[in-house]
Amino acid sequence: MREHEYSRFRQKLYTEQLDNGLTVCLLPKPGFEQVFATFSTHYGSIDSVFRLSGEPDYVSVPEGIAHFLEHKMFESPQGDVFNDFARGGATANAYTSYDQTTYLFSSTENVDENLRVLLDFVQEPYFTDASIEKEKGIISQELRMYEDDPDRRSLSELLQAMYSEHPVRIDIGGTVESIQGINRDLLMRCYQTFYHPANMLLLVVGGFDPEHVLDLVRENQSGKSFAPARTIDRYYPDEPPEVAKAKSEVGLSVSQPRCLVGWKDAKTGLRGRELLHQELLTAVVLDVLFGRSSSTYQEWVDEGLIDQQFGWEYEVTPTYGFSLVGGNTTSPDALVSRINEALDKAAEAGLAEADFERCRKKTLGRFVASLDSPYYIAHSYSSYAFKDVDLFDTAEVLESLTLAQANERLRSHFVASQQTVSVITPIGARA
Amino acid sequence: MTGYTSVHDGRLHVHVYPTHQFQTQHLQLKLVMPLESEGLTSTAMLPYLWMEGTETFPSALALMQRTDELYGVALRAGIAKRADRHIAEVYAGVPGETALSTNGVFEEAQRLAFDVATKPYRVDGKFPDKHVTREKGLHRRRIESLFDDKIAWAMDRCMKSVYAGERFGLPRLGHLDDVEAVTSETLVAAHERLLSEAQAHLYMVGAWSDAERVAADALAALRRALPSSRASETGPIKALEVRSGEIRRVTDEQPVRQGKLNLAFRTGISLPDVDYPALMVYNGILGGFPHSKLFVNVREKASLAYYASSRLDGLTGVLAVQTGIEVAQVERAESIILEQVQAMKDGRISEDELNYTKRGMRNQYLQANDQPMSLVDLHFAGVLAGKERSLPDTVAAIEAVHLEDVVRVAQQVQLDTVYFLRSEVTSHA
Repeated sequence: MREHEYSRFRQKLYTEQLDNGLTVCLLPKPGFEQVFATFSTHYGSIDSVFRLSGEPDYVSVPEGIAHFLEHKMFESPQGDVFNDFARGGATANAYTSYDQTTYLFSSTENVDENLRVLLDFVQEPYFTDASIEKEKGIISQELRMYEDDPDRRSLSELLQAMYSEHPVRIDIGGTVESIQGINRDLLMRCYQTFYHPANMLLLVVGGFDPEHVLDLVRENQSGKSFAPARTIDRYYPDEPPEVAKAKSEVGLSVSQPRCLVGWKDAKTGLRGRELLHQELLTAVVLDVLFGRSSSTYQEWVDEGLIDQQFGWEYEVTPTYGFSLVGGNTTSPDALVSRINEALDKAAEAGLAEADFERCRKKTLGRFVASLDSPYYIAHSYSSYAFKDVDLFDTAEVLESLTLAQANERLRSHFVASQQTVSVITPIGARA
Repeated sequence: MTGYTSVHDGRLHVHVYPTHQFQTQHLQLKLVMPLESEGLTSTAMLPYLWMEGTETFPSALALMQRTDELYGVALRAGIAKRADRHIAEVYAGVPGETALSTNGVFEEAQRLAFDVATKPYRVDGKFPDKHVTREKGLHRRRIESLFDDKIAWAMDRCMKSVYAGERFGLPRLGHLDDVEAVTSETLVAAHERLLSEAQAHLYMVGAWSDAERVAADALAALRRALPSSRASETGPIKALEVRSGEIRRVTDEQPVRQGKLNLAFRTGISLPDVDYPALMVYNGILGGFPHSKLFVNVREKASLAYYASSRLDGLTGVLAVQTGIEVAQVERAESIILEQVQAMKDGRISEDELNYTKRGMRNQYLQANDQPMSLVDLHFAGVLAGKERSLPDTVAAIEAVHLEDVVRVAQQVQLDTVYFLRSEVTSHA
């Protein structure tokens, strides 16, 4: 067991890679009642074409299957896994992202039992044809719910317009149509490829004794046998730097138009500290330009162009990266041109040092504040770990950013040919 | 496990929760008024208007830049509604000073939070036109955009039917049609009334070694900020009574992909009642968890929905079921939901359902110890209901609930409204 201390955050981290390849990370937080555990596989919706080393051909699976598999894992020969967690007084859940599937529980008691349930159900696939068909009805309603949600919908439309090849253009859950093609063999193929312990990470955070938990995990894992780990070949098609189309527009039952403007990173492939550096640098740039303490944001509210739902985001992984700015607006066209004017002006003049320092300071404070949340730590630590990033490097990397880097990023990221716009137009009568 | 140190002086209350568990310190000021139609929209707008600037930082831009400089102190203000109370809130979350090698930030943030509520930017006593105009535009959109979140919208519409004709039913944000008539004068009147009459509760959660001194200092600061005056008359909140008469049915049509079916029930039981712990367990068995009847029967067995759950408002005693379904399946979904309610009345509840629910609730309450703002919410609900119950007492009360208690309260659960948001019916001429 390796021990690492982040004294600045009063946080210790214990890590170990087990013989079967599983990475275990333990982050005790003395004084906390709960234990929050996540068991994650480095496998998400974008991993739709793949093979294991030694296999002759790539297999291409239906859109939304990673998410479907996440749902189906909760079935066991004894019934519903939720009951096993309920018996131990635990709250359980799971989620699938573009590049990760995570199973989790939190509990204040019976932690040993709940940990074994978590490890066992994720390592024991069990699907019946009847239950797979049933799940199609449930997931169809999940997808319908997202179709009515303007936040999800505008992002989904934006990514579809932005990417012509990369599977991030497809919704994580797929579509009501695409999931109809999912069957037991395909689920098993995905499971066997991506749920090997060597592709997984167990993370425990909260009030517990690390020695004890590690012993439990070691013992649990040594009682199971796995095939030797094989390398996973994931195929992602080449994505051109230009966006697939400049604009997309859909109608939805909403009170006012919504508009997102997004930019695709032309260069991808970053990992580790470089990736974290780019993520934080871009976030600070976006905050300087469009955050609540920017004169741009306040002016546009004054003019009635935007409301307080306006915001920005940046997401980066080794295979794709994009930023977006936008929200509710009285005029999508006017908003797009104002955003571009603001960017042109900033690119010419450069960011002001005082603004840059202020936003950096805020980002640092917000990071420190978030460390009080076991959920935040569990989620972001594992998500970063699959990108070879250490979450706790955040403060140091933030402090290393320079104004010159910010201005360089500003000028290279916001490129017209890499920009796309997603507009939601109100349809139907208002209330 | 620690607890609150509370001190008060008339209508001013301070509740300090000392703990070294968190790096962040939290402060929340709650100003409680009766929910009244008189001045409703002006009062609802006020906390947002406060964020337009203070005497020291006289614009939203200056105020936001100040919070950035204080390491991104999360400073927020907004209006809340609990049963028939309107509550103006200001919150400040202050990142750990040790990790940031700084100090004095909390004191600055506390001053800023107080100033937002008590010294908002005014010229000759008036809120400047520029701020009022801007905030009226934002408030209009704040009300309008409630329409965009269909799950929340459906619940709002359902509750509107339950509370029809009651003060509980006044909308949190006020009325869209009343925004136009709001002026600096109506806002000043609402502001002065709020500051002089509201019951004020200041919550502080953080790493203080001397809670009593912190509480006394905070009370003194509160006294200076809110000079004493006549407090508005507000007794404890009473549950909505069970009513007689027909079940209400409300249907809205919008161009949506998914229908939202909500059923609301009156129970006549709320937080101070002896049967309240049993009602909480009732809600948990019916629809509070993935092992609950609604989730198992509507989702897992019938495959009709992704979400199917129930929740309980401890102050009004109203229990609401919500689910998202294919429009054509509405009758089947409603009958499955009502079968579950009937099963509860008939006592068809397994040992596992009862025990899993009690364990799940125990876990939720114990976890509140790890979430500073949950600790505040739980305590404040007790304050409003006139019955403060500590976390350990609540956990013990749940533990003591037996099957017959749950079945007894089940007899009091009475269907009030069936609400359905559906896609538009296309007419074939």
